[in-house]
Amino acid sequence: MMGYIQPSDGPPGQTGKGGEGMADHLDEPNLSPPGGDPSIDITDVYAFKKGNKKKSTLMLNVNPLTLSSSFNHRALYQLAVDTNGDARADIAFNITFTRPHSSQKVKVRRATGDDAREDEVEGDVIISGPTDTVLTAGQFKLFAGRRSDPFFFDLLGFLAGFAFTGSDFFADKNVFGIALEVPNKALGQNPNVGVWGRTLLPEEDDHDDDHDDDLMQVERMGRPAINTVFMKGARKREFNRGKPHNDPAEFTGDVVTVLKSFGHSDAEAAGLAAILLPDILTYNYESGAGFLNGRNLTDDVIDIELGIVSKGAVTTDGVAAHTDLLGVFPFMGPPH
Amino acid sequence: MEKINRRKFLTLVGVGSGAVAGGAMLSGAGLLGGPSGDKSSGTFSFRAVSGLPGGALPSYASYVVQGNVNVAARSGVVARAVYAGYPGAMSTIALPGLSQVVRVTDVREAEGAVDITGVIDDRSQLRPGEDAVVQIRVDRSRGVAWTGFLGQNVEMRLQA
Repeated sequence: MMGYIQPSDGPPGQTGKGGEGMADHLDEPNLSPPGGDPSIDITDVYAFKKGNKKKSTLMLNVNPLTLSSSFNHRALYQLAVDTNGDARADIAFNITFTRPHSSQKVKVRRATGDDAREDEVEGDVIISGPTDTVLTAGQFKLFAGRRSDPFFFDLLGFLAGFAFTGSDFFADKNVFGIALEVPNKALGQNPNVGVWGRTLLPEEDDHDDDHDDDLMQVERMGRPAINTVFMKGARKREFNRGKPHNDPAEFTGDVVTVLKSFGHSDAEAAGLAAILLPDILTYNYESGAGFLNGRNLTDDVIDIELGIVSKGAVTTDGVAAHTDLLGVFPFMGPPH
Repeated sequence: MEKINRRKFLTLVGVGSGAVAGGAMLSGAGLLGGPSGDKSSGTFSFRAVSGLPGGALPSYASYVVQGNVNVAARSGVVARAVYAGYPGAMSTIALPGLSQVVRVTDVREAEGAVDITGVIDDRSQLRPGEDAVVQIRVDRSRGVAWTGFLGQNVEMRLQA
């Protein structure tokens, strides 16, 4: 069985805690106005265990700055799960929404095998109901709706070239959160899984709501920051349209180029790139450790990234996890 | 000198108030043309763009500075904002808290460039510790401009 490269497999001299930092907000200009739909712009993906040891929470957040007023009823929002380390989905949680009227309804289907790899709305419905409400069906829980953005980062300091200001740009921002609590067994028998999020739109708009269209992937994200930090210009869009199993062949050069510009040797850069790609959030659902084992809402992925990318020259942006997080599902704080 | 508030500035540069109300949706395109001059009136307009962050990291956002300046009268208005998207694919989403309107208080020509001094009258547009006085240099012969961003001097490309 193939396995994901863990941080301890990285190049000599690493601390064993590799990673990357900035999330995915607004990384796909084609999804921004004019002409784009921010509601399918992925901001973050999380996978963690909290409370019940036999359950995990997968989270797909979209709609940075809540620029859109609703989920896209034509889109497929997907949480993909690789159970055998080949960077291809073996399980997919396919999330769709009804047309927005006074409110929206959400439906989650679970697809497996070949169905999980299709760019279509496949699978059996496991949970459904109105948005902005915690839903329960058997061992599954679901929340989809406006929440406080749990991502924390001194974005302005980053834009100023690591001249950090100590202010958390996202402290008062909202997103549309999709939180899905699943029994671990719904993620497969192998506890070492890979998780990533995708959003897809119909290739052609037939103006119906039956979700039976041929879909095209427009955004994807596993670990935070891969696209934002390492992909330049038009490569951002190419990366968003890509598939994780192709990442090492298609995007290693982009990652290596950035790492080398910060002083990493060829070997170091190649070693780190092999950790960062494919862009999948590795997660052992039997472990409570945080990032790189999954990603908790409180994991300071930025600080981890800064140290790695800058080769230790920058170690922190000076901001910490938000204090509005909830101790219970859906864990994200109430909207501002 | 007359103070120019945000609404008046946007009227001058042709943006309706509706576009401003949302803040984050302020249009970054088409407010003003490229660097152009009018010798009879002594005015010129410019628009300069730079990717942020600069340096080795791929740009994530675009810093846009654009304005109308009357060299003879040493007056004018300049807008500064940061838009999501790198310069080649800039969106119309202005990142909240980073849009500023600068009232020009002095204009000097030196070494083929124009040095513009201005002030941000609306103190709510200032970041903590940020100076309200703004310096901008526009060098049309070289096609570049410079101004500050969070204490860093940013070189920007003038757009035609």
